[in-house]
Amino acid sequence: MRSTPRINEASRPCGAGTPGKLLRRGCAAVATLALGFGLVAGPAAAQDDEPYNIYLSMSYIGNDWQAEAKSMIEAMAKHPDYEDRVDLNIQVSGPNAQKQIQQINGMVQAGADAIVVYPISPNALNRAVRNACNQDVVVIAYDAEITEPCAYNVTIDQEEAGRVIAEWLAEELGGQGDIAMITGVPGTSVDTKRTEAAKEVFSQHEGIDIVAEAPGMWSQAEARQKLSQIMANRDWDDLDGLWMQVGCYTAAKMQIEDGVADEDVIPCAGEASNGHRVQMLPPGTIEGVDEAYRPIGYRSISYGSPPYSGALALKMAVAVLDGTEVPQRVNLPLPLARTGEMEFCEEGTWEEMANGCNVFDPNLVSPGWFADIYGPWTPEVGFQAALLGEPEDGGHGSFEEEFDAEAATQ
Amino acid sequence: MTVNTESALTDLIAGAKASASRGRPTLVAIAAFVAIFTFLAVISAGPISFYQVSSIASSGVPLAMAAVGQTLVILTGGFDLSAGAVISLVNVILASQMQDGGASQLLWCVVGLAVGAAAGAVNGFFVGFMRLPAIVVTLATMFIIQGITLLIMPQPGGGVPYSFSGLLTGDAIPGLLPMPVVIVVAALALWALVRNSRFGTSIYAVGSDPDAARANGISNAWTKFRVYTLAGVFYALGGIFVTAQTGSGDPLIGEPLLLQIFAAVVLGGARLGGGRGGCVGSVFGAYTLMIVVNILLILNISAYYSTIVEGVILILAVLGASLSRQSAFAGYLRLGVRKLGALRDGSLPRRARDVVDAGRNDLPPPRPDDELSSNPVRAWFLRHQDTLRIVVPAYCVLLLVLIATEIAIPDRSLGIGYLESLLVLTSFLAVLGLGQGAVILTGGLDLSVPWILTLSGVLLTGILAGADIAPVWAILAGLLAGTVLGLVNGIGVVLLGLSPIVMTLAVNGIAQGLALLYTNGTPKGWAPPGLQSFMNGEVLGLAPVAWAVLGFVVVATLLLGRTTFGRRIYAVGNGATVARLSGVNVGGTLLAVYALSGFCSALAGVMLTGFNGQAFNGMGDAYLLPSIAVVVVGGSLITGGRGHYIGIFGGALALTALGIALAGTMLPNAVRDIIYGLVVLGAILALRERT
Repeated sequence: MRSTPRINEASRPCGAGTPGKLLRRGCAAVATLALGFGLVAGPAAAQDDEPYNIYLSMSYIGNDWQAEAKSMIEAMAKHPDYEDRVDLNIQVSGPNAQKQIQQINGMVQAGADAIVVYPISPNALNRAVRNACNQDVVVIAYDAEITEPCAYNVTIDQEEAGRVIAEWLAEELGGQGDIAMITGVPGTSVDTKRTEAAKEVFSQHEGIDIVAEAPGMWSQAEARQKLSQIMANRDWDDLDGLWMQVGCYTAAKMQIEDGVADEDVIPCAGEASNGHRVQMLPPGTIEGVDEAYRPIGYRSISYGSPPYSGALALKMAVAVLDGTEVPQRVNLPLPLARTGEMEFCEEGTWEEMANGCNVFDPNLVSPGWFADIYGPWTPEVGFQAALLGEPEDGGHGSFEEEFDAEAATQ
Repeated sequence: MTVNTESALTDLIAGAKASASRGRPTLVAIAAFVAIFTFLAVISAGPISFYQVSSIASSGVPLAMAAVGQTLVILTGGFDLSAGAVISLVNVILASQMQDGGASQLLWCVVGLAVGAAAGAVNGFFVGFMRLPAIVVTLATMFIIQGITLLIMPQPGGGVPYSFSGLLTGDAIPGLLPMPVVIVVAALALWALVRNSRFGTSIYAVGSDPDAARANGISNAWTKFRVYTLAGVFYALGGIFVTAQTGSGDPLIGEPLLLQIFAAVVLGGARLGGGRGGCVGSVFGAYTLMIVVNILLILNISAYYSTIVEGVILILAVLGASLSRQSAFAGYLRLGVRKLGALRDGSLPRRARDVVDAGRNDLPPPRPDDELSSNPVRAWFLRHQDTLRIVVPAYCVLLLVLIATEIAIPDRSLGIGYLESLLVLTSFLAVLGLGQGAVILTGGLDLSVPWILTLSGVLLTGILAGADIAPVWAILAGLLAGTVLGLVNGIGVVLLGLSPIVMTLAVNGIAQGLALLYTNGTPKGWAPPGLQSFMNGEVLGLAPVAWAVLGFVVVATLLLGRTTFGRRIYAVGNGATVARLSGVNVGGTLLAVYALSGFCSALAGVMLTGFNGQAFNGMGDAYLLPSIAVVVVGGSLITGGRGHYIGIFGGALALTALGIALAGTMLPNAVRDIIYGLVVLGAILALRERT
């Protein structure tokens, strides 16, 4: 089962926290209709003449993940359901928290109805976010979290992510072996949660020894640097497995370059990059583009923080502004895929992805491109959205049942 | 009587002129701020509200405080890389310890200030009394402090009471005077007190001319010690304010501030190398940088253009405020006019060369140096004494790290595999070290390394993905782009007279925008197979790049040490005016140096692309600080004029070996940072010049 949405906190009663704006927008009328997270898009929800002013505050933009997330948000805003309803204004603050604070303040001043934000820090923006909420601005963070209670969060359970892939690796190795860990950015809560959860799992297996650990900064380039350092006085025979937040593709590439046969490449628990997922396809399934970017039947598990979270956050922002009840925190299903579960996408439409395809044509995207773009609640955005910022044809509707069913089980 | 009046009048005018020229950089900074603020007011829909002013005032305080501290250090001719780390440290201490109640808040603020002072005192001790180069000391303490910060708080968390935040970020007089403004003014008042004291005078004296200061009875060591300590207090103030502003702790909060701090100080009119500038200018510089965020917001600049616009605004702000008859641009304009005139009259200096050349034959033959010993080995050492002194320490560090590696993991000894990894991983820093080293030798600094490196990489793979051409053309295109951007750096520094820090920071932003626009955020294509096997293949037991590095070292050493171009670099670094009067084409040399650095960044980008098999946006971010570190660990002076490529290469080897040694361990990252810092500090301490 690839989609197990979980909603952590009880849905917030309609209007609570931001009474003024929501009542103005007819919250009371909608409250009786929407029991759960009703993302009812389309003409029915359009009730305001003026489009909503929605601002996107990005912190850093210089990598594939951020670019894909941005493209998907843009595609969502271009979708016919939202085109006339949303005025999207995208801003970049850079990695400096003070600048993002000032940017959010500026957006509130500029008359934002909602601010969708990729926060540089989970708590540094809290006071600015609190201030925005006080002025009836809806704040929704995607991927990284904001701990201020008035903000909405769309994210994944980072502890679960670290744990699940560590469990997979331990099982794959039969509870025996020496492994190396390439972690993320030290000092961030995402890295700490993932890494600690994984170490917890490994500590329960006496036979598993972590022989090296280095921060890979969530970058294939940095992962290669660190793995090269670790391998400087080791052979690949000395390692039995790898746990990486990003870098499995690169690890397989290094082994291939060092003359390791495809079937002897050591198992790796790691990221959702297209390079990694192509390598996980059975050999010969599709034509590769070079000696590393090709199917090798890599024994691996692929996970990630899906880049569609921003597009979903935008959708949620509109829903909140429409007065729909939306859970304060949405935990996205982990986009997990194991060797044997990989399926090549011909077109990459949302339809096709919903039916299980999860690997894209290596001729169209680079190995570092993140392939976990399928979101059960975002039929407006598919491969073209992540690549070019173009929405799907059609692809709209309500996902109430699915979301509600899951919410009810919590 | 008349004579007396006249001379008094002349004195008065001279005094006014002198103080105006002293205050000029500050005035320029204020003018830049006023210009950018006016621009904001003009493009804003309505009048700028009190809330807006108060919000901008509040967000800018940490940067402003840190810039004040950094200015003090830079005034003495120093350089402090630990500023951002101290802010983080104070932030996590306060966020993890502070309780409700005024007493606890006051106590922990005092502790925070004391921690900042202590960190500064450590810097001051090593820089002042041990006479170690500031940039290496503060690089080491930066890592140590980062490590301690991560030990105290491994991930964002903690919190301070709302009352504390309210007090510092609220209003002093509701609706009229924001508290952050009061804090900034109070800090500047403190600076005014310092400046007008004997201590203040000694800061400028030490920065202007250490020898003259000493001759006048000023203790260089004590002055520097006090300055670094006071700077630490200002960083701590920034850290305390960050804590109030965010209400919580984040161990990474201060790190991204570092480059902005330098930009603020330089925008504020201070000169790297010391003696000129002031804290008032730096505060305005800091706010100028912060206001750019609001301008981008109002202009609704598309995301990928934002760093380009930010860079251009940065350049315009400095340029617009500093254009005058005295500016470099006006100077070059006058020079150009004169040269045209000379060309017409046929009186160009070039014409005089024939005369000199004719006379050269009449010179007496070079005299054998009678001081040289007859023992050739001893003679060699004597001749290269100065070079050895700056080159050897890096290799001693390398040796120590290798010994430590051998002891720590004896069963996996340092074999051919290790040597290959060491050389391959060193190759990037070896290349970057030449460019950055050349720039530093001229007294500059190149902050555009990260995105010029990235741009050349994404260009290379992008061109190959889009067209069916030989890979060599794509590689050349990447190298050309880097060289051109380097040249743009040079033009800004030379023709426009901009500070290298401002210019290269702006070009870094422009290169980032270009890379993002070219790739639309996601780079296409991959490195050509030939390039990949150059980086990762094998020839005679080693990767081809490992052999190439050795060749590169020879070429780079000859370039810096044995060519006219190399000698001119040193001449410029030792004093641009003297160099110019000695007939060195200073402008041309600088242009070539920045172009060289751009080329080296691009070359490293091409190599990194081959190494990874593809290019990534952001792949250069990890190389900026190391590129500076290898140069200074290799013995170069950050203020220019001294250094040797063999030393820089040694620095690259030593730091790479240290990285390999630490990556092979299971130590927590925090402890690794501390060890990294201690090794660097210990190395330069043990091998410092004894005078």
